[in-house]
Amino acid sequence: MATLAPEKAGRPTDHESFLVHKRFRWLWIAVLLCIAAGVGYAYADVKPRPNGGSWYGYTLGTIALLLIVWLSLLGVRKRAMTEGRWSLKAWTSAHVYLGLSLVVIATLHTGFQLGWNIHTLAYALMMLVIASGLYGITVYAKLPEKLSNNRGEMSKRQMVESLAALDRQLDAAAQPLAREESDRVIAALEQDPFRAGVLARLTNSYPGCRTARALKDFARDHELDAHEQRVAGLLHKRAAQLAQIRRQMQLRALLDVWLYVHIPATVALLGALTAHVVSVFFYW
Amino acid sequence: MSFRLRQVDTTATGREIVRERMIEGNVLTIGRSAENDIAIPDLAVEQHHVRVTAEGRALTFEAMGTLGFTLNGRTRQLETDDDGSAELVLGAYRLDFAAGPDGEFEVTLRKREQREGGKGDGTHGFTLASALPGKRPVAWVLLVAIFLAFLAIPIWSFTHRERVKPDPDKPGQVLMDASWTPGALSTAHHKLEGNCESCHTDAFVAVRDEACLTCHQTIGDHAARPKLTLARGPMSWGDQLQREVADVFHKPGAGACTDCHTEHEGEGRMKPPAQKFCADCHGTMDDRLKTPLGNASDFGKVHPGFQAAVLTQPGQEKAQRVALSAHPKTFNGIKFPHALHLRPGGGPSRMAMRLGARAGYGKPLDCASCHKPTKDGLRFQPVVMETSCGSCHSLVYDRSGGNFRTLPHGDIGKMRAALAGADRAPRRPIASGRRRPGEYAPGGLYYGNFAPPQRASVPLASRMLSVGGVCSECHYPGGNGVLPVTQPARYMSNGWFDHADHKKEKCATCHAASQSSSASDLLLPDIKTCRTCHLGEDAKKPKVASSCAMCHSYHPRGSLPPVEIGNTQRKVAMSRPPDRPQGP
Repeated sequence: MATLAPEKAGRPTDHESFLVHKRFRWLWIAVLLCIAAGVGYAYADVKPRPNGGSWYGYTLGTIALLLIVWLSLLGVRKRAMTEGRWSLKAWTSAHVYLGLSLVVIATLHTGFQLGWNIHTLAYALMMLVIASGLYGITVYAKLPEKLSNNRGEMSKRQMVESLAALDRQLDAAAQPLAREESDRVIAALEQDPFRAGVLARLTNSYPGCRTARALKDFARDHELDAHEQRVAGLLHKRAAQLAQIRRQMQLRALLDVWLYVHIPATVALLGALTAHVVSVFFYW
Repeated sequence: MSFRLRQVDTTATGREIVRERMIEGNVLTIGRSAENDIAIPDLAVEQHHVRVTAEGRALTFEAMGTLGFTLNGRTRQLETDDDGSAELVLGAYRLDFAAGPDGEFEVTLRKREQREGGKGDGTHGFTLASALPGKRPVAWVLLVAIFLAFLAIPIWSFTHRERVKPDPDKPGQVLMDASWTPGALSTAHHKLEGNCESCHTDAFVAVRDEACLTCHQTIGDHAARPKLTLARGPMSWGDQLQREVADVFHKPGAGACTDCHTEHEGEGRMKPPAQKFCADCHGTMDDRLKTPLGNASDFGKVHPGFQAAVLTQPGQEKAQRVALSAHPKTFNGIKFPHALHLRPGGGPSRMAMRLGARAGYGKPLDCASCHKPTKDGLRFQPVVMETSCGSCHSLVYDRSGGNFRTLPHGDIGKMRAALAGADRAPRRPIASGRRRPGEYAPGGLYYGNFAPPQRASVPLASRMLSVGGVCSECHYPGGNGVLPVTQPARYMSNGWFDHADHKKEKCATCHAASQSSSASDLLLPDIKTCRTCHLGEDAKKPKVASSCAMCHSYHPRGSLPPVEIGNTQRKVAMSRPPDRPQGP
């Protein structure tokens, strides 16, 4: 989606990232908007100090509000793909760059006056949304390649099936084992690899992995008989397969997590923005 | 080397039938064809699909055709498994390989169940969605929480509150509206923090003057309304546009309190209104009003020269405003050449040095020798003759024994009485008890009095008060005695100057006393002198940015200073009537 190189050398393709869409058209528009806002801020005659409630503050606030509402409509817009002037790509490109321009516009709107109030809450939520979006663009540019590398030629389904196959073999191979060793295998098999929290997924850290524990237990026994060796070998394979699955989960989590911030924070921002505007006019 | 094949079939009732047979050799072929060691009746399987070669405990799987096979869940063409444990999937069948003892491999063939991967395709768990609450519920919860806390609760408690007179000492009734504040209130209104409804009395109605006047009942207006309206200059297009937008949102009209005074600008003193609020009218006021006031829009650029209220004639009672630029003379009833007294090495200075530190001098005279600041440092106390002048200009008129008699100063009647009661007998010579011998003694033939002729030692009041008399050294004779001396406390009744704020400056920077040989010189600096440091509101350092409010007050404050300047606590008119302007 967001590969930074639009074309491979010598071979023009139809694909062009939304970031470079129309030679960075929206980037330039956003930069000009920011410069205009900055110049206005420097020259606006606002006394006694820059303030969201001055005429220039209201102007910037109105622009920022319209931008935010429009930006949040991407969620609606993306569900209806069209081509041409207002293609989804153009829309997305504008979404990214105009969204970034809000950092300047809204910050100038605050007049650098922040506090513990609904106004700053709206500002903080907006910055959170922008930061998460920025993160999203970054990971979309970098992680899909890693995701593909990790997968090798396997589909997710194949990974799951491979693990299931190993589990069946483990189950069969562990039949001759004594109680204690059997319990280790059962513990490893019973553990659902997908029962992992957000943190475990994001950090790819599973200190409670029972497959790893079973392997450690088998490694501690120095004299393994043929059955036990076989089970240990299968556990190694299981651990390797688990590692691939978990890396996949990590990459997916890193790729997806921003949306879990971006979307709810956007909705919360719209709420906070409503409260911000209503409160200003309520106590007019 | 052999393979033990266990073929598991399941009957319709679910019973398993297991058939076993041995396949000798280290190669096993699998395919649809009956020629294979293991024949699998599945169209998805090729006639000759896989060859398995056993070597020790290792098994090598090799695809015979172009189709691969699934080994341990992965699609492969060629794969070696070292520990003899593998799961081979071909079409709908699964073959489990397990290396047994004595080089025997156990192969179990069974038909796969429909779905072995669990529910769905089992890949749902890869996504973060399986570990996190959905985005929508989270979004809804946040939205509802924000609406409740920051809209519903404040609005409900606002509309259901009891309307009372604002009381800064009581907390407000509206809940959660502290979250609406766009910034802290200034020090003056600090107590109203959290009591928003005392100013924001009606929803969606901008703060009105009435709200301010609830407390600031007696604050005076700058001028009468019609005059104010007349004086207001034409608005620039920008101001006009702002005004029109403000009207759309029902902001109170021009001249409202909130026009000049903005709140929620942060803690500390309220910022003085910008000079443009004054310049709106005063910048070009002579176009619209007949007024003695000169135009003023910026202290550095457009501001009339200073006019001091002074007495110019003996006997004048009401001070008269005169432009300082004309170097006016004043008459304050005293003869005092500043230059003479301040000249280093001059008589008065030498005298002061001779008097020494014990008498409060000890060094040449300077301004502070006579001019003592008031307690607040704002102005100067009147010079007192006895302490400031009397050390040199003695009023001692008589000596009685070891005591000196000093004339009462400032009261002609007492002075006359003191002189009338004085002992006017000629002084006898100092009795030493020694006599001249013989006929040279008093009464003798050759007595001669060579002492200076004796006069009455105490002069007459009339002589003292007349021209050439001791009083006329400093005073002008007139009336019953001398003309009264006036020492004005203030010369500028409409502007403000605080000496305390200028402590670092030398007196001579503004007051050219050392060049003044007459007390009739008005030693006040003109606007030029002020402008060496003070320029208009936009002045950049090192100049001092000075808006109108630094020296002037919009609301009549009488002898009180304008609210803006200085560190001293200066109160805004609340319920107290403002002091009326007083004479200088």
